Amino acid sequence: MGSDRAREQDRELLRRYHENGDTSAREELIQRHLPLVRSLARRYAGRGEALEDIEQVGAIGLIKAIDRFELARQVSLATYATPNVVGEIKRHFRDKGWAIRVPRALQELNASMSGAIERLTVKLSRSPSIAEIAEELETTPEAVLEALEVGSAYSTVSLSAAPSGTEELDPLETIGEEDEGFQRSEDRAALAPALQRLPPREREILRMRFEDGLPQTQIAQRVGLSQMHVSRLIRKSLAEMREQLS
Amino acid sequence: MVSHERIQLEAPLAPDFQPVVRLIIGGIAERVDFGFEEIDDLQLAVERLLAEAGRSGSVSLTFDVGDGHVRTRIGPLSERSIADALQEPSPPGELTLRRILQTVVDSFGVEEAADGRIVVRLEKLRGPT
Repeated sequence: MGSDRAREQDRELLRRYHENGDTSAREELIQRHLPLVRSLARRYAGRGEALEDIEQVGAIGLIKAIDRFELARQVSLATYATPNVVGEIKRHFRDKGWAIRVPRALQELNASMSGAIERLTVKLSRSPSIAEIAEELETTPEAVLEALEVGSAYSTVSLSAAPSGTEELDPLETIGEEDEGFQRSEDRAALAPALQRLPPREREILRMRFEDGLPQTQIAQRVGLSQMHVSRLIRKSLAEMREQLS
Repeated sequence: MVSHERIQLEAPLAPDFQPVVRLIIGGIAERVDFGFEEIDDLQLAVERLLAEAGRSGSVSLTFDVGDGHVRTRIGPLSERSIADALQEPSPPGELTLRRILQTVVDSFGVEEAADGRIVVRLEKLRGPT
């Protein structure tokens, strides 16, 4: 991807996307630069978060870079995207509150948990029990519970910070564009203003969970995140909404 | 097969202690083989109720554990607004406390305590295994 030819192809795709609204060009750009995202994500592996989750977060930074890229810029997309991807990943870790010191063994157990839950959910066709997760990971149920709690922690600082979706376009916004559920009656709901301040992705996840009644496993498949990540986003979103009310 | 057991907990309402409550709920639900998502649901239900109950003082939680179910009682609570929020039907499309509980637990209810305060009941059943 570092060659002049690759850069020229990128520019052509960026032109097609930004000047003609060609979304297939955007998709191709995303695919071309996913290896860059994976490479950057690997730098943050082993810090208590599943690599696939870090990659997904990094991909959000990539999409933002593609959407914001100005054709007049004389830099390559890879150069422009790199700080966006890294920034998105760092923000993710900051929001998760990993600044709280967590024993490495628990972080590693938490990191392997997401994959274990996904595997067992497919294998058993249901949500696995704690004992089953423990067996899969060759540890004790108590350690699994503790690691889950570590993973579910989110920074209380982030709750009082400005909602992340107010200034930046979320790449998953497309799935929330026609939010005809909660959004339709937002002017009446007590929680409505707080709901509206959530990023589109979080709003859509809440709609799927509490209006459509979808289980986390199905929501996770639809938005391309792990079940643990969906669980965290639900909790964090509800807590944020409550916080804004008080 | 789990015999019926009761676990009682007096927990601070301060947010710092919420992870402790979640951990205890996880341990209790694990004893009746709840799935990961069922545990998460029960934890979320209790977490949201405690968030409505304030940030100071303490709260009593009672967990009755039996084969495939956890029945939770939270209170007595002074915040009668919780009772109103749980008893009034949720208008379509509104994300209320009632709607959240309707999604994450199998049943819930509000009891009047003798002193005018309220107790919230939650029941969560284990899904098919």
